[in-house]
Amino acid sequence: SMAPGALLLEAQREYEKESQKADEYLREIKDQNLLSEAVRQCIEAAGYEHEQEVGGSGAASFGKCFLDKFPPESFVRTCRDLRVLNAIWDYQIGIPLTFAQYKQLTIEVLLDRLVLRRLYPLAIRICEYLRLSEFQGVSRILAHWACYKVQQKDKSDEEVAHAINQKLGDTPGISYSEIAARAYDCGRTELAIKLLEYEPRSGEQVPLLLKMKKSQLALNKAIESGDTDLVYTVVLHLKNELNRGTFFMTLQKQPVALSLYRQFCKHQELETLKDLYNQDDDHQELGNFHVHSSYSSEKRIEGRVAALQNAVDEYYKAKNEFAAKATEDQIKLLRMQRRLQDDLDKPYVDYSLHDTVYGLILDGNHKRAEHLYRDFRVPDKRFWWLKIGALAEREDWEEMEKFSKSKKSPIGYLPFVEICMKHHNRHEARKYAARVTPEQRVKAHILVGYVAADAAIEHKNETEMNLVLSKCTAATDSSVAEKINRAKAQSLKK
Amino acid sequence: MAAHLSSGRVNLTALREAGRRELREFLDKCAGSKAIVWDEYLTGPFGLIAQYSLLKEHEVEKMFTLKAGRLPPADVKNIIFFVRPRLELMDIIAENVLSEDRVRSPLRDFHILFVPRRSLLCEQRLKDQGVLGSFIHREQYSLDLIPFDGDLLSMESESAFKECYLENDQTSLYHAAKGLMTLQALYGTIPQIFGKGDCARHVANMMIRMKREFPGGQNSIFPVFDTLLLLDRNVDLLSPLATQLTYEGLIDEIYGIQNTYVKLPPEKFLPKKQGEGGKDLPTEPKKLQLNSAEELYAEIRDKNFNAVGSVLSKKAKIISAAFEERHHAKTVGEIKQFVSQLPHMQAARSSLANHTSIAELIKDITTSEDFFDNLTVEQEFMSGIDTDKVNNYTEDCIAQKHPLIKILRLVCLQSVCNSGLKQKVLDHYKREILQTYGYEHILTLNNLEKAGLLKLQTSSRNNYPTIRKTMRLWMDDVNEQNPNDISYVYSGYAPLSVRLAQLLARPGWRSIEEVLKILPGPHFEERQQLPTGLQKKRQQGENRITLVFFLGGVTYAEIAALRFLSQMEDGGTEYVIATTKLINGTNWIKSLMEKLEPPPF
Repeated sequence: SMAPGALLLEAQREYEKESQKADEYLREIKDQNLLSEAVRQCIEAAGYEHEQEVGGSGAASFGKCFLDKFPPESFVRTCRDLRVLNAIWDYQIGIPLTFAQYKQLTIEVLLDRLVLRRLYPLAIRICEYLRLSEFQGVSRILAHWACYKVQQKDKSDEEVAHAINQKLGDTPGISYSEIAARAYDCGRTELAIKLLEYEPRSGEQVPLLLKMKKSQLALNKAIESGDTDLVYTVVLHLKNELNRGTFFMTLQKQPVALSLYRQFCKHQELETLKDLYNQDDDHQELGNFHVHSSYSSEKRIEGRVAALQNAVDEYYKAKNEFAAKATEDQIKLLRMQRRLQDDLDKPYVDYSLHDTVYGLILDGNHKRAEHLYRDFRVPDKRFWWLKIGALAEREDWEEMEKFSKSKKSPIGYLPFVEICMKHHNRHEARKYAARVTPEQRVKAHILVGYVAADAAIEHKNETEMNLVLSKCTAATDSSVAEKINRAKAQSLKK
Repeated sequence: MAAHLSSGRVNLTALREAGRRELREFLDKCAGSKAIVWDEYLTGPFGLIAQYSLLKEHEVEKMFTLKAGRLPPADVKNIIFFVRPRLELMDIIAENVLSEDRVRSPLRDFHILFVPRRSLLCEQRLKDQGVLGSFIHREQYSLDLIPFDGDLLSMESESAFKECYLENDQTSLYHAAKGLMTLQALYGTIPQIFGKGDCARHVANMMIRMKREFPGGQNSIFPVFDTLLLLDRNVDLLSPLATQLTYEGLIDEIYGIQNTYVKLPPEKFLPKKQGEGGKDLPTEPKKLQLNSAEELYAEIRDKNFNAVGSVLSKKAKIISAAFEERHHAKTVGEIKQFVSQLPHMQAARSSLANHTSIAELIKDITTSEDFFDNLTVEQEFMSGIDTDKVNNYTEDCIAQKHPLIKILRLVCLQSVCNSGLKQKVLDHYKREILQTYGYEHILTLNNLEKAGLLKLQTSSRNNYPTIRKTMRLWMDDVNEQNPNDISYVYSGYAPLSVRLAQLLARPGWRSIEEVLKILPGPHFEERQQLPTGLQKKRQQGENRITLVFFLGGVTYAEIAALRFLSQMEDGGTEYVIATTKLINGTNWIKSLMEKLEPPPF
């Protein structure tokens, strides 16, 4: 044959014989620029060497030396494939595949066949030699091996699990849960559980554990994972599986699961929530629960009061005196509001105490307002704020003045000035401006529109003076501004 | 669209891209025209990942909001539910599916996309309702950490704090750990993990566990982050209670920023000339997006509000000078150059106009007497003045029935700054609140106590002064214009959480062992092995990158403080911030309130 490959083979043979003909053949190929083609042919031929002694690999490696840039991949690949074939042609294995058959079959199928024949070590060696990714190579074979291993009935669960873990370790891509599932299918539940211990992905552990009816263990694993959805799944599974008492007991031991279940109940099963709190003797939460239901599930006043009364009892049991007293006050208020509503034919129920008193004053029911104020021991200061606000809104200036003189105001008189101005009654405001303390005088004077320069200068207070200055307009108050500036300059000198 | 995400040290566009890819892949699984039925809460966060145009490209023709009853008519092949895994939503979906008119539109396929995680519990519920079989694809979309800005990620999980610290439900922490795993898959394993608090410990444990579960083995991506710092919100309950005084913080305090958008009263944003007619006053609030894509906003967002005015007026001068240039443009070339700059200049001008308006709106509030009084009291508490007795201002505010949340913030702040209140003081406040705002708030007060925001002083010792002094939480000589310390963000108070991060970087937590012991929960350090070849060799002068994860929420002021540290010349560390939710004192307290409504009559 005069094919470049054949010539190259010839050249290599001559070279072995140390004959100069080798050079002639080589030149002939090179002159036609066919050397790379020749090498390629020889590499291909090498694949068939076993069927026929061709010597292609030798020739190819010889020819390659005379090429600068021959990509080595095909040569290396063929050599590797040949070594794989060599290995399986061994009489102990006995798979006499031709190169073409092997290529047709693909390495994956070959590995599968080896696995089926339980030739695990060889399969693994091949994977490692061919540098297949662990995912499709070694891991897969080890998994097969492990699945076979779990069927060995003569070995104890301990031994099998240990042996499997020894071999598999933390090889990426290994699914311990699959192996465990196999073990479970073979009736070896204990082994399956042991194997699952090695599974790092809780998402995989939990469903199998549930299937094996190991729900408690499944709950532990779900919690460990941090995946709350998984926890919910197990909890609801447990709820169906266990009787109520045992179910609650189980949750008791798992605070994370318990809090999640509470959340679930809060939205889905309110009554169960109460039972949970009851079991824990959590009186504070029970109190809160009753307060909640006094709003959400009770419509009639009597029903709401009853729910609140339950809350009071629970708060006392929780030693939360404040909450108990406050809720008692709430009951009292609710009852009073009911009466007011009947008497005055106006809605009062569910207003806050503040708004109730405010509403009464607004309607001129000062007596009733006073009564509530005393009954609920509203602090004086707050009552005064409240009352002048309501009176101003009612524009009952006469009553306001009377009130302001009823005793010394606990909030001073500036609020009076402010509230009058808010309702645009400068005339009334000025009455109170005269009564404010000296410290607040500037502010009050500015509010009611007096020129407050004198007071500010008297105080020798620079901030106040600046405040007055800022209120001065050039057109009308230039003399005032001048006066202040003079005073400021003077105080600076000192 | 996403330039602001790649502006920081860590290119967060990659995270967004991963999110978009996952979304496209799912949409393409459901071949043909589609309608999406949205769990309304998800639309905001989704907007940060993909605009409507992306959905449209994948044949999404209609969008509805998930609600009970029958689905609106839509001539589409697929109906896809985008939902959070919640049982109450499953019931609505079931109702939707069951009330479908099978005769009229027999060919519709149903799918469900759980965000961020599929849930067995929910699928069981669908099964119980008899509709599970109706869904062809049931998948999950792991939208855990959403990129908000070049250095900011949030899970936007509204109730995370309440669930973790009140209800002992750690679902959001599981999602946080998952989110961190996704982040590591994209940006490499984070070699060092520090943490403080029970939740932090739990998240770190889950991360370590998940790493073992990961089937792919070693992560071969070169690590971007050097350190992860996990912080429990309950380690620092104080910072969110105080009023934020940065520009962005105040916008959030006053108007509320949601998924980077803010809605503002429209009056201030009228176009000057047409506005004079006065007839068509816009009633729709003005909606603006706030992120670092806007140059001016990036410059002023983290400044103390008192330093914003001068920047704005400086900018105004620069811009009008730039517009004046046109008079000097003589040659055709010069004119051409001027015109080419016009779009940029016009954008800058409208950006300046917007922020001037916002600053005016804010100024109206910050200069009010009540804002000043409130701030004075806050600052007194934080610097340790009169924290142990009933406060007059708080009392007066209750008497005038100021908003309840404001009162709760003040009372909680006082409690935190005093390591709890004396029985007498606590009971007085509680009684005042119940009488004024209604007894139903007894449950809210109970929640605040459970969360540790409000508590009884148990030992006679008040720990706060120790913490304040050791950590230098109160700085008297604060410089708002040219700050030299993080305390500028609250005009005096340096957020404890950020101090912890600062001290961790230098000189290390060993220097504050005593304080760490006083603060709740364990502190810890974990190392994650890197495969050989991935160990970082730092260039001279190259900064370390630390990811700070706030479990339970973070405020804009705290973020500003961390950005300030990133920019410090000799800081040595740059920060990326992640959180379960962006919060402020108001929405945080609100999330802890129990909503009780009286039954209707």
